[in-house]
Parts: sequence; C-alpha cells; structure tokens
Amino acid sequence: MIFLRRQLPLLITMVTGLLFAGQYYVPHPASEQLLTSATKWLQIIGGFALVLGVTSLFHQHAAKIRRKEAGWGYSVVLYAGLVGTIAVGLWANGKESVDGAMTTFGWVYNFMMVPLQGTMFAILAFFIASAAYRSFRARSREAAVLLIAAVIVMMGRVPLGEYLIPASGDVSSWILNVLNASVRRAILIGVSLGAVALSFKIIFGVERSYLGGGKE
Amino acid sequence: MSFAERMLKIDRRIIFLVIGFCTLLPLLYPVGLPIKISPEVKSVYDYMESLPERSVFLLSIDFDPASKPELHPQAIALLRHAFRKNLRVVAMTLWVSGTGMADQLLTQVAQEAGKENGKDYVFLGWSPGGTAVIINMGQDLYQAFPSDYGGKPTKGLPVLDGVNSLKDVSYAISLGAGNPGVEAWYVFGKDKYKFELGGGCTGVIAPGLYPLLRSGQINGLIGGLRGAAEYESLIGQKGRAVAGMDAQSATHVAIIILVAVCNIFYFSLRRQAKQQGG
Amino acid sequence: MKRGWGDRAAVAALVSAFIYGGLCSTAFAQFSLMPPADVHVADTPNDGGESLTVVWAPGPSDGPDARYQVLLGEAGSTDPSALKVVAEFSSTTHYVKENKVAWWTRQADKAWHQYVIRSGKGIELKDGTTYAVAVTLLKGEERAVSPVLQAVPEPNWFNWNQLNNLILALGFGGLVFYAISHAKRKDIFLRRIPGLDAVDEAIGRSTELGKPILYLTGAHDMGDPSTIAAAVILGRVAKRAAAYETELLVPHREPITMAVCQEITKQAYLEAGKPDLFKEDTNFFITSDQFSYTAAVDGIMLRKKPAANFFMGAYFAESLLLTETGASTGAIQIAGTDSDHQLPFFVTTCDYTLIGEELYAASAYLSKEPIQVGTLRGQDIGKAVILSVIMAGTVLATIGVVTGAQWPQVFLDLFRDLK
Repeated sequence: MIFLRRQLPLLITMVTGLLFAGQYYVPHPASEQLLTSATKWLQIIGGFALVLGVTSLFHQHAAKIRRKEAGWGYSVVLYAGLVGTIAVGLWANGKESVDGAMTTFGWVYNFMMVPLQGTMFAILAFFIASAAYRSFRARSREAAVLLIAAVIVMMGRVPLGEYLIPASGDVSSWILNVLNASVRRAILIGVSLGAVALSFKIIFGVERSYLGGGKE
Repeated sequence: MSFAERMLKIDRRIIFLVIGFCTLLPLLYPVGLPIKISPEVKSVYDYMESLPERSVFLLSIDFDPASKPELHPQAIALLRHAFRKNLRVVAMTLWVSGTGMADQLLTQVAQEAGKENGKDYVFLGWSPGGTAVIINMGQDLYQAFPSDYGGKPTKGLPVLDGVNSLKDVSYAISLGAGNPGVEAWYVFGKDKYKFELGGGCTGVIAPGLYPLLRSGQINGLIGGLRGAAEYESLIGQKGRAVAGMDAQSATHVAIIILVAVCNIFYFSLRRQAKQQGG
Repeated sequence: MKRGWGDRAAVAALVSAFIYGGLCSTAFAQFSLMPPADVHVADTPNDGGESLTVVWAPGPSDGPDARYQVLLGEAGSTDPSALKVVAEFSSTTHYVKENKVAWWTRQADKAWHQYVIRSGKGIELKDGTTYAVAVTLLKGEERAVSPVLQAVPEPNWFNWNQLNNLILALGFGGLVFYAISHAKRKDIFLRRIPGLDAVDEAIGRSTELGKPILYLTGAHDMGDPSTIAAAVILGRVAKRAAAYETELLVPHREPITMAVCQEITKQAYLEAGKPDLFKEDTNFFITSDQFSYTAAVDGIMLRKKPAANFFMGAYFAESLLLTETGASTGAIQIAGTDSDHQLPFFVTTCDYTLIGEELYAASAYLSKEPIQVGTLRGQDIGKAVILSVIMAGTVLATIGVVTGAQWPQVFLDLFRDLK
C-alpha cells in the first residue's frame, strides 16, 4: 500500500520530470511528439478531473438542501442553473447561433453570462477606488514616493492627465518602461530561481508534502 | 470621533457613487480629448502595415466577456485594420467562455468589411488543452482544429491555403486577459515556431508584460482601453475605446482627488495627535 | 576551412556567371558585379529539421542599392534559372550577428550574411531530401549568381544553443543539493517573514472568535510551482487549525488541486491527532470560471464571515475583488503570490503579503527543516551570482559608452551568450 501511495508516485514524478526537462533540449520531432502526447494525456485526465469537481459540487449542495442549511435556496438555484445550461447546451449542440439565428444556449450566454461577468469585472473599478482611498496614505517616505509615482502614472495614462500635465505621459512611460520593468525583472529572477529549486526538490523526491502532508 | 476620522472611515458606497457618476457623465456627454500614441501600440500598427496582402494574420481572442470593455475594442480595431489591409484572418480562442463573443465580433467586423467566411477569414473556435493547443498548432494546425467553429473541415479552406502550422503565420496577436494569454503564446508559440508576435491585454496586467516588450519577445503591446483608443485613432476609425477614454480620464482624476483628500485628513489627524501628545 | 570554400566558390561563381549570363539580356553587365563569395549551405543545426542555412561573405558591392536573392530548387539542379526565389532583401541586412545563436554554435564570421530557409509560408522542405540552393546579388539591372549548392535538411537530437542553459540548470541544482547537505550539518539563519509569523496569530484569532478560516490556492493547477507552494502551506495551516479545532474552508477552482489538497488536509488532521474532526467537504470545488468563482468566494466571505483569509498561489483580476471583500468583513488577510502584477492590490488590501519567492520560502520558514532551509540558501547563492553578473555587465556597458572602447563589448557578448 505504501508503495502505491508513496514510492510509485515519486518514481513517476522523477521519471517524467527528468524526461520532460530533457525534452526541452531535444529539438527532434520525436521529442515534440512526446510533448504533444503528454499534453493530450493531460487533457484527458483534466476531463475526468472535471467529473470529480462537479461531483464535489453536487454533493456539497445536495447536503445543504437536505439539511436545509441557511441559504439552501441558493443551492437549488445552482442546481437549476447547472442542469438548465447543460440541457440547453446539448439541445443547441454547444452553438450560440445557427445560421445567424440565436439559440437558447446563445441567449443564456449573451443575456446572462456576458452581463454577469461584465458586472463582476466592472466592480473592480469601484473596489480600486475604495482600496486606494483607504490605504493609499503617505505614512512614510517610501509610501510618499509610491504615491507620487502612482499619481503620475494615472495622469499619464489618460488624455485628460496629459492635457493638464503634458509631461506626465512621457514620465509615466519612463516609470513603466524603466523602473517598473526592472523591479518586475528582479522579482521574476527570484520567483524563477524559487520555482527551479522547488522543481528540483519535487523531481528528486525531496519535497513530498504535496502528496499528502507529513513525513514517512 | 473627529471630522477627519469620520471622513477617513467614510462608507465606501459613497466612493462607489462618485466613481459611478465619473464614469457615467462623460459617456453621456463626451468631450473627445486628443489621444497621444505610444510607441508600443505604434509598433503593432506599423508591423500590420508592413504585411503584404493575403499574409496570414492570427488573432487569438484569449479573454471572456468579463474583460470585454477593454479587449473587445482592441479586437475590433485590429480586425478592421487586418481586413482593410486585405490580410487572411485566422481567429481562435484559448478561453472556452469567450467562444461565442469571439465568433460574434469576428462575424460583425467581417460583414462590415464585406469579407467572406472561409475565403478571407476563418474562426477556428476553441479547443481543449490551453497552452497545449498552441504546441499542437505549431506542429499541425489541422490536427489541433480539424474543423472550424461552424463545423466545416479546415483542410481545403481557401483562407488556409499554404498554412500547415504556426510556422506559416506572418503575424500573431494574442489579446489576453490572463492565462493562457500573451505570455503563453510567447513561451509555447513564438519561441518554438518562430513567428512574429504582438500582444494586447487588460490595463491591470499591462505593466507585467513590459519586460516581454523590452526584451523583444513581443514586438508591440496594446494595453487596456487606452491602447485600444490609440489603435482606433491610428486606423482612423474611432469607436468605443475613444469614447471610453473620457470616462477613464474622469475616473482617474476622481481617484487622484480621493487619494489627495484621504491624505489631507490623514495628515490633519496626525497633527492633532502630535499636538495632543505635545 | 572557410578559405577552402572561398576558393572553390570563387571558381564556381565565375562558371555560374557564364552559364547564367547566357540567359539574361544584361549578360555583359554581370561581369562588373562579383557574385556572392564563399557561399555555404547546410542543414540548420540544433533544430527540428525542415530547414537549411545559407551563409556567404559580404561583398564589395554591398550597399543600400544592392539586394540579395536566395534561390531554392529540387536536387540536382545546376541551372539557377530553374530555382525559385524564396527571399529577397537588402545587402545591408541578414548578418550572422543578427541571429540569436551562441558563439559556440556560430557557423561563420559575425560580419557574414546568413539566411535560414524554413518550411512554411509557401516553402516546403522535407527532411532527408536534397535541395539546390544559390544566392544572387542584384544591383540596378545587373545580377550575379553564386554556384548552385546542394544540402539536406535533417532534424537534430540536441540543441547546442541551449548547452549554457543545461549547464546553469545542473549547476544550480547541484548548488541546491550542496546547500541542503550543508544545512543538515550547520544551522542557517532565516530572516523573519512577518506574513508567516502572522499565520499563528490569524488562526488563533479565528479560534477565539469561533469563526472559520478561509484558504485559497489560486488560479493555477498543480503544474504550477505557486500552487504546489500554496498546497504545502495549506498542510501547515490545516495542522494548526486541526489542533485548535477551528473550521477550515478551502474552495477550489481546479478539481485536481482539490483532490491533492483533500489528501494534504486529511494527513494534517491525522498528524495533529484529530482525524475524527476531518471533513471531506473542507475542500470543495466551485467552478473553474474566474469571476463565477470570485462571486462564490465573496459570498462565502459575506455569509460565513471568516476571521482569517489566506490567499496563496497565482491570481489575476479577481485578487482585489476577493481581498477588498475580505477587508470589508474585518478578517485578518495574508496573501502570498508570485503573480507580480497583482502584488499592488494584495499589498494595499491585505495585512501581510508574501512577495514572489517568499511564497516558496514559506514551507522552509514554517517547518525549519534543514532540507527546506538549505534550498533557500541555494537560491540565495544563485541570486547572488546573477546579481554579480548584472552588476559587472552594467559597469562594463557604462565604461563602453563613456570611453567609446570596444573591449567591454567582448565581455558583454560573452555574458549574453552565456545567459
């Protein structure tokens, strides 16, 4: 049992990890073919995983309805939405329109999903404003520098800002291209080294807590 | 609680209301301020201009309806430019929830330009696998997309004449709202299959893509609504992005004023505290 | 070796100029124009095949008014007129130095011309098939053709251009393992990471208030190191939550991550000696759609009012929507992400933020195990090496610009090739 739960997954991780790390250095079509096959496997596994996810979703909300927990009505809405969308999707063969005419599935997509997603994204602008008001304070010298840079970039990115302060466009471009890009590169170098080190640890079985927490 | 304290803990719904008005009013009463063109947007435009007629232009619409306000105008402007240049347009998406929207926008712009499906443009739709789709397309486009979104077999379509893989693409642009997006198209596409790549993205992730731009990994970048407005100005067909820039100008200025006001109250509170302490 | 090609090429060029001269009405004019010299065609090295590389020496006629054409045809063709023009460009472009290859794989002098014929855009090259290639120089009405050469495209088994990458990766790997063995023998100092110190405080606060802990693992799947790091930290958080008997909620965007985290949480409860408290639905799937997931998690925050919110892993535009809602409920918020574009939002709305690689360092900090701490030391040494090279490059480039000297360029080219 311990072999199936520990040694075998570690062995698979090591072999595939080394194989696909090596694949990066081999330009031969056979190597590309190997990568394509692996990505197809991943797609298939991903498909099965979705079943796992949907099962979890159904199970959780079924329990809520059964126990009549607070807000169980939302779970009913979820069931109705999920089953309803699958039904109209199958009916329309997954197409939003056929020969220019909108299908029921297309209606759900255009008049429910599009405005709902748009609304969620639009909330971002309001949240940015409230977060900026609450936390953008010149508490220290560093925070003051950050504040000034933010104001310049915000002015430089819109026509009104450039109209009021003509230099703001060029200064904001400089901030984005020079200061921002270099700081991001520095973060990226750290992140990449961290990711490579983590990958080495996983490939060689040093880091194994992702398989189920503790040590043997 | 002093006035400054009360103002610092103001109900955030009041801020929401201010932002709402600042967005709505300029949309109702547009001013039309001039838009300065940035070099990163100009490079995309210039490269499109340099392409000979019937070159293959791949547009990957990697966003969903949530990012529509920023990326939809970019897609429209790019497609208008491509059709005007008489390029062969191959569109697709790596985001399943963006499929219907991508189909609609392509059909709309193609009809406006009088272009024919299958001959001048094709919408390949979505294929599962995310970044793996890019690799599959790099090896064999027809295996990755055996049929287009309408169900027609891709092999034999006049628009794809002489196109076997990503190596045959003259210029590709990914309009990405996240992952998979511009970065994935560089790592799994351009780096492997050697075609020229440009990018478009939401304003939030644009600063994160500047390192790609500076190192030449992408040859241009259209960032957010501002980038879309610049592109609309370049092609001389002003649309929703240019109209939206007034609203964006007003909200940016409103946020700056809000931040300034909050700092004034913050400092007055600090002074009060010092005076009380002293 | 290059001289050898040059001699043969010069003779062949004269012969081909005679042959081609008969085909053209401007035959006499051709003799004033020297054909491209030292032309060499071979399979493009270090690639997946279906490609040929042509290199030739710059000629005296090169200039803005002169152009080169690259011709390609079937095997055995010796007549340039039977070949098809596959590229035409100015004679002041397409140099070897423009190709991003390292000096150890460069096929000719940097000042030579180079053109890579690739399958695609109307050209079809098949591996294992012989092709005829020639280069023509055009100036006004005049033209001069190089000899027709034969070459076979083939796929290669190793990309020598990436040898530096392999050596650096293996070197860094070796360094990490050395640092791990060093850490097993000696104690290594770890600087404080306030965000991780606050983990216990956040869990304690949830326990006191009798409210749940919300833990998110980000937008990516288990293939992403940030998700793996988030899952590892979840193990530690779950263990403390189990010990304090505090409810844990882990909503997921990815089913496989959910399955993995379920195992991790179960193990954590087992290690904490509270297996009976473990609930299967601690980890649950919502949807893989970005904003639907955000709306659902925001709903959980508003209804269940967790006292501690953890945002670990990769995030996109949803970050602020999640953290701002969390802030409005008064929860302690700890974020850790390598999504640099979302850092400003996390920093402004969360109490503590683990920036970039601090997320990967978290498991070392929380466990203090020599293996984890040693890895961090390895990373630090790697970073020091990179920083030193950047510093040296900056100094050299500045000296080059200020003094106008050419020698710093040699070192800069070396750095660029080795990167």
